[in-house]
Amino acid sequence: MSALLRSLRDGRGFDAALASLALAYLFVFSAFPLIYNIAMSFQEVDMFSLGDLIRPFVGLANYRTLFAAPEFWSIMANTAIFVILCIVFQLAIGFGLALFFQQDFFGASYLRGLFLAAWIIPALVAGAIWKWVFAGDFGVLNYLLISSGLIDDKIFWLSTPAISLYSVIIANVWLGIPFNMILLSVGLAGIPKDMYEAAALDGAGPWGRFWHMTLPMMRSTIGAVVCLGIIFTLQQFDLFASLTQGGPANSSNVAQYWSWQLSFQNYDIATGSAVSVLMLGFVIVVAFLYVRSTRQEYRA
Amino acid sequence: MKRYVLFAIALGFLAIYLFPLYWMYLTAFKPSSETFTYPPTFWPTDPQFNFIQVFVDKKMDVYLWNSLVVAAGTTVIAALIGTGCAYALARVRGVWMDVVLFLILMMQVLPPSLMATPIFVLFNQIGLIATPRFAVILAQTAKVLPLYIVLCRTSFLQIPKELEEAARVDGASRLTAFLRIIVPLARNGILVTSVLIFLQSFGEYVYSRTMISQEDLQTATVGLMNFMGPNTTDWNGIMTYAVIYVTPIVIVFMLLQRKIVSGLTAGALK
Repeated sequence: MSALLRSLRDGRGFDAALASLALAYLFVFSAFPLIYNIAMSFQEVDMFSLGDLIRPFVGLANYRTLFAAPEFWSIMANTAIFVILCIVFQLAIGFGLALFFQQDFFGASYLRGLFLAAWIIPALVAGAIWKWVFAGDFGVLNYLLISSGLIDDKIFWLSTPAISLYSVIIANVWLGIPFNMILLSVGLAGIPKDMYEAAALDGAGPWGRFWHMTLPMMRSTIGAVVCLGIIFTLQQFDLFASLTQGGPANSSNVAQYWSWQLSFQNYDIATGSAVSVLMLGFVIVVAFLYVRSTRQEYRA
Repeated sequence: MKRYVLFAIALGFLAIYLFPLYWMYLTAFKPSSETFTYPPTFWPTDPQFNFIQVFVDKKMDVYLWNSLVVAAGTTVIAALIGTGCAYALARVRGVWMDVVLFLILMMQVLPPSLMATPIFVLFNQIGLIATPRFAVILAQTAKVLPLYIVLCRTSFLQIPKELEEAARVDGASRLTAFLRIIVPLARNGILVTSVLIFLQSFGEYVYSRTMISQEDLQTATVGLMNFMGPNTTDWNGIMTYAVIYVTPIVIVFMLLQRKIVSGLTAGALK
């Protein structure tokens, strides 16, 4: 007993105690709900059995209901479109800006940091601002597009089913650009400058240098940014809540918003938890790949 | 010469990118008649100051106070629990600590909107929903604690081990050395990380919306959602609300910009 106390006070037990405190918290409030969620997805859960500890086991019935739901596949397709388009544009624009700010000029790093002002504001407020920018009759976006001759008629960005999802994507790309840009800048800063000078001496043009040096050297950074992008895109909830609420008629609904709607607007908690289990499983696989790819650096 | 051109282009990019924020401030200063003119004006011809009126009408003092409670509670708990863990992870090398770090990183990625369902049912069963703001604090802490640990760990990594060993030779216990020597040295990193966690939690929405049903306990994000409603047209009021809510966040960010950016990049990729 006294050996244990001594270890806690003076030895390795001290580190173990500090680490296990946080781990215990995360177990209670993250890991346990995760497991509990899986259990709920196999149970019948409604408003009456919400407080019960033991609920009727229904096997895969919740999942069968889910797959049979008419909106299931369209929402899953929306989720895929949302994630893929957001990542492609965030990465492309973020990379472009990172390359631009890599150049040597006055205030480059300070101006680059200012982009993060959009990232730091609550996503729900960003959603409110974009809802006003997107407004059909008096929105500034329609005005700018019409007056520059790009479109002829006002677009109803949020209430047209064929467009609503893409409007949310535009807002989310806007939110995600600074984070992508900053992470990619870090990767770019890690490429030795003399490599470029040597390549320039050998007659490689700017495009050749980008294609044959920058991109290969950035491969691991881009991989990490894409993984983080998937993770953060699937966390996006506030923009859907403030812009379209998944509508009209689920045309802009995605899995992470649908799960919440099922649980807390339709009170169909069992199906909500089934959606949640599917998506959490996917996120954890992506996170596993991400952590494994950066593990070497964590050890260093 | 080239540098000035680059600087001007950079300013142009920034202006285009931050235009939505400008539009928010501009709309907040416009009178409502000017808001609904077409074509819109890009500079207020008759600036209005509706801030006090919106603040009072929309009970923003209550909402902002609740957001403050959630953000402060989250930051305090995360700092109390996370600092020690970040230190242990920076100090000890081994398979066990790799496993702990791996688990923590995995807990970082869970989307709150998907965790809301099990957390709500669980908290409902153990009676935590009766104290909804506390429930939100607990859930939000679980969300931000991994980020706190990962970011703090990098500042502990920079402290030489010898400083602690010297204190130990002088007879200090591990706890004393940690609290008196290590934590003060990592003070800057801990503070910047705490500010980041605080700002993030100040804008929390999912858990507040899910778990807080009493209006006088709801946070500023939920208040803004209520204000927006399904068919609102009071965009002046909404943008004024947004300006009041967001301006302190933007100011704090501007002041700490450099430190937040460097902390973030060190933690996310290294």
